[in-house]
Amino acid sequence: MIPLHWYLILSSVIFSIGLIGFIIRRDLIVMLMCLELMFNAVNITFVTFSAFNGNMTGQIFAIFSIGIAASEAAIGLAIVLAIFRNMAIVHSDDIKNLRG
Amino acid sequence: MKPATVELIFFIYFFIALTSFSAMVVLARNIINNVFFLLLFLINTAALFLFLKAEFLMAIQIIVYVGGVLALFVFAIMIMNLKEEIKHSKYIKFYSAGLIIGLIFLLIIIYTVKDVTTIGQPLPKPDSVLLGKLLYSYYLLPFEILSVVLLVALVGGILLAKKLPKEEK
Repeated sequence: MIPLHWYLILSSVIFSIGLIGFIIRRDLIVMLMCLELMFNAVNITFVTFSAFNGNMTGQIFAIFSIGIAASEAAIGLAIVLAIFRNMAIVHSDDIKNLRG
Repeated sequence: MKPATVELIFFIYFFIALTSFSAMVVLARNIINNVFFLLLFLINTAALFLFLKAEFLMAIQIIVYVGGVLALFVFAIMIMNLKEEIKHSKYIKFYSAGLIIGLIFLLIIIYTVKDVTTIGQPLPKPDSVLLGKLLYSYYLLPFEILSVVLLVALVGGILLAKKLPKEEK
């Protein structure tokens, strides 16, 4: 089979792309999409260790992670919609109400 | 141990497809193209789960992500009606700092995992029955806590997205 560290390198590349996108993009919705990328990278790692160790615990934790990611997307999009409706802002660096 | 040729071809396809689609999620200019590339990325991730003998997770991935989360994103874009998005710059002012941080993070992780091995036996075949038994016996309490978390997210999402009482009049 494919060596284990190839999968880990694939997962870390996806996670880093998501991290870079989360830092450098300005649109709030694209930032949430990059969060989904990072969640998927971690899920790939869980499933990889589950397949390589013959242990179902990794898949169960991937199920929990998918559930948490779904609730995170719902809450995050609700917050983005609330920001858009109250302040008419869609960019992350325009939110400066609390800046001194 | 040298991997078989078919597995190698599939893995190289997954590597190229997943990295390029996730890069396009970050790089695409129009926001609906971001959602489209995210769709391709999620479907390819589901295929990778099937490749890794996790067929129940493949179904869950397609149902929850492609059917639920992606529809949420499309609805949010439709509600916010982002027309003037093209004119603005899409990156923050100090984007090189973010690039440097991400690349350093990537190098550290690759240096850490580059020769990791496992001592366990590989999973013999896909087995959803064992997954269900484990989920409903040993992991029953985390499963119930997850249902409470989802309920809280439901209520919180409705409360955050609905209009405040002073806005309604």
